[in-house]
Amino acid sequence: MGLAVDVVKRRGKRKHESYDSDKLLRSIHSACLSVHAPEGLAVSAANHVTSIVTIWVNSKPAVTSNDIRRVVAYHLERYHPDAAYYYLHQRRIL
Amino acid sequence: MTLDQSTVSLSIVLLAALVHASFQLSISVLTLMSGHALGRKTARLRLLHLVGGFVLGAIIMTILLLSFAAYALGAWLGSGVPTVLWAIGAGAAVGVGLSVWLFYYRRELGTILWIPRGFARHLDTRAKRTKSATEAFSLGLTSGVSELLFTFVTISLSALILLSLPVHLQLVGILIYAGVSLVPLMIVGLLIGSGKKISHIQRWREQNKRFLQFAAGGGLMILGTYVYTEYILVANILGSL
Repeated sequence: MGLAVDVVKRRGKRKHESYDSDKLLRSIHSACLSVHAPEGLAVSAANHVTSIVTIWVNSKPAVTSNDIRRVVAYHLERYHPDAAYYYLHQRRIL
Repeated sequence: MTLDQSTVSLSIVLLAALVHASFQLSISVLTLMSGHALGRKTARLRLLHLVGGFVLGAIIMTILLLSFAAYALGAWLGSGVPTVLWAIGAGAAVGVGLSVWLFYYRRELGTILWIPRGFARHLDTRAKRTKSATEAFSLGLTSGVSELLFTFVTISLSALILLSLPVHLQLVGILIYAGVSLVPLMIVGLLIGSGKKISHIQRWREQNKRFLQFAAGGGLMILGTYVYTEYILVANILGSL
């Protein structure tokens, strides 16, 4: 679901977009599956972390995509450290 | 040509292939493609097809690039390689080796390479959209070309060396180069196919990136020195005797 919070992408080089919790949930779920997490754990971790990050985002007028990535990785670490590492580093592979 | 001279030439091709093997662009693209595929719940067999297609594409592109370079240089030079070309090749190897030491990875976390960002994003997008073995094959071909930024020296020097070999040994040289240069890609492909976590592979790459950078740059400098010694110094000494 979209919130009235702007997400600044790539240090402002790409068009801003509204925060979309569904998009975030899908990306966390996908990161968990990428490191062979079981489906149940992936769904549970994605739901929990998305809820926490949505509360955090709601308290800000605007956030950067890098901030979101860092906060997601921090909270995902509790559920699946490998997924947290992959989530944080998947934009730093190439 | 005696067997000894052929052996020396093939050993230089082998060294060039080892240097090529230490470059990381294709491995990064393979890691990205596999990560995206796993994130889409791609079945194991389909993932194996994707990885196989990618590796096959990279192998074929390497063979094509080396064959084309050897053919083009052969057509241009006729018989015999002038000393100045060996000097340019040796100098380029040392220069690129130094650049690799200084610039190969960006000064950021991860394994981000010093390639244009728009280009990297294009490869990332293609890796994300790759869903069939055919697309993976063409991504493998593309990554072979993309890596030319770093591998043009090893490919050009190997092509020059191949020109001085008899035809049957030229084929052996091409196969040695293609086989050895893509061993790391095949190993990573096998690891992914056998269920190794992408995060573990990436963590290993990140922890060892400075060593790989040192090996690639150092290897290029050794290659340049080897070529200079064998084809300029020794040739001049033998010529003056």
